[in-house]
Amino acid sequence: MKQPPNLQEIQEAMRPGRLSQTGFLGTDPRPLGDILAEDDATVRRLGLSHEALADRMAYFREKGVAGLGVPVDVPPHFEVRVDGVRGRMPCPFRHPGLYPKVFCQVKNLRTRETITFSDLQIHMIGAHGFYEGRGSAYRLEPETLIRVLEVSPAESSFNTPLHEAPGGAPSDSPRE
Amino acid sequence: MGLEFLLGVGVVTALNTVLALLLVLAERFLADYGPCTLALNGEKKITVAGGRDLLATLKDQGVFIPSACGGRGSCGLCKVTVLNGGAPLATELPWLKPDEIARHIRLACQVRVKHDLSLQLPPQWLEIRQYRTTVSSLRDLTHDIKEVRLRLVDPPEIEFKAGQFIQFEVPPYERSDETVYRAYSIASPPSAKNEIELEIRYVPNGICTTYVHRHLRLGDPVTINGPYGDFTLRPGEREIIAIAGGSGMAPLKSILLDMAEKEIARRIRYFFGARALRDLFLLEEMKTLEQRIPGFEFIPALSKPDPMDAWNGETGLVTDVAARYLPDASEAEAYLCGSSFLIQAAIKMLTSKGMPRERIYFDDFG
Repeated sequence: MKQPPNLQEIQEAMRPGRLSQTGFLGTDPRPLGDILAEDDATVRRLGLSHEALADRMAYFREKGVAGLGVPVDVPPHFEVRVDGVRGRMPCPFRHPGLYPKVFCQVKNLRTRETITFSDLQIHMIGAHGFYEGRGSAYRLEPETLIRVLEVSPAESSFNTPLHEAPGGAPSDSPRE
Repeated sequence: MGLEFLLGVGVVTALNTVLALLLVLAERFLADYGPCTLALNGEKKITVAGGRDLLATLKDQGVFIPSACGGRGSCGLCKVTVLNGGAPLATELPWLKPDEIARHIRLACQVRVKHDLSLQLPPQWLEIRQYRTTVSSLRDLTHDIKEVRLRLVDPPEIEFKAGQFIQFEVPPYERSDETVYRAYSIASPPSAKNEIELEIRYVPNGICTTYVHRHLRLGDPVTINGPYGDFTLRPGEREIIAIAGGSGMAPLKSILLDMAEKEIARRIRYFFGARALRDLFLLEEMKTLEQRIPGFEFIPALSKPDPMDAWNGETGLVTDVAARYLPDASEAEAYLCGSSFLIQAAIKMLTSKGMPRERIYFDDFG
């Protein structure tokens, strides 16, 4: 599917070696618009919104910071570690500011599943509905995110149109 | 109709060919900056091929600038003074303070060498060298921290100060199709000139840490360059408060070993934070150092020891534990290493105990 020039330019910026070493798209051959649309459909089908997922991610990130780099327990059955490496990343959708390379690792002790995400990913999901392309080491499958973080439809809202993100406070990623 | 279609295709193809040729010619003649001269500190002059970024150009000439991201403009470490380099790019502005812009400081990775440049570098940077090494030892310190020992091959010895760091070169492998560099503190003492020790904590999906933890083998060649950094022990008699967590152990271990060898008997209390006993490491080495350095006390703090740990040491966040030990920190100085959140919390705690901010030292890796 042909996509608007602005999305095409963003997709180019997401290639490996542009904004990050490995890029944001992995081996996904699809146009960015298709990637966004499919993940958007998945999230909506599950009765949720990108903002709800991002809010849940931000919640764990906030709880994890208190551990000062050491894992902390988050009720009812999560273990969270937040740490960072030197550096900051720009948003490929051209939001102003830089997002520090902070990562949040959430272990669901009930299901024994672990998921890791960065501040930049919290922003990209909440503001752009972007979970990265298939084959990206950093891709967050919406279903996995929802399952591991136990996001319920009650937390959802559909207030922000896709691709029209608010500025938002700069956050980030451990992406290299 | 068919002829018109073929003619249209032919015209478009011809136009594309002409445009492609123009681009090739422009690249050949307009983007060829020819040889450029780089003047270093008004003394040394080197001639280089123009067209590449300053960081890579200098590296090819054996001049190594600190960088933790390998030249992507995402770490802000490679600051150099470029006296005639023009205004900084938008990509540099988040990293530069107004006074640095006024002093013509730029990020070397964002400066393209297009003409002769006059550069000011800290003299010690000109002493930085590249070293070929081989992996002489690999050891798991915890489930996510690996000790890596590198035996120097060429040159066979390195001079550094306790607390400094090197850059580790990761060759292309399945996670990366180009060479990348990452900074790691040296854990061994400066007296061990022919072998350095690193403590590398696994970062989920990290290119370098994945390489080290999953791919690096005994005997593998590794290229490093360094040393870098000023996280070194300041002279004086003040009491030292050290606070660290995770792989933040490395530079402090180097400093402690150096103090022991030089018989520096300053009082030093070292608070190390972890979650449970399985996250603590080098306990025996710290006990030995307590015997070798008269004023040294190692105080590990577990935020959530397992019941099976039978832990009878300090519990709680390391900064909270340190706060309990320090009613007044106004006369001491502090050395911090670990997560940026740990450093921020430690600075807040220490200043609340009266320690002047300028006496708190740390490598700003966060």
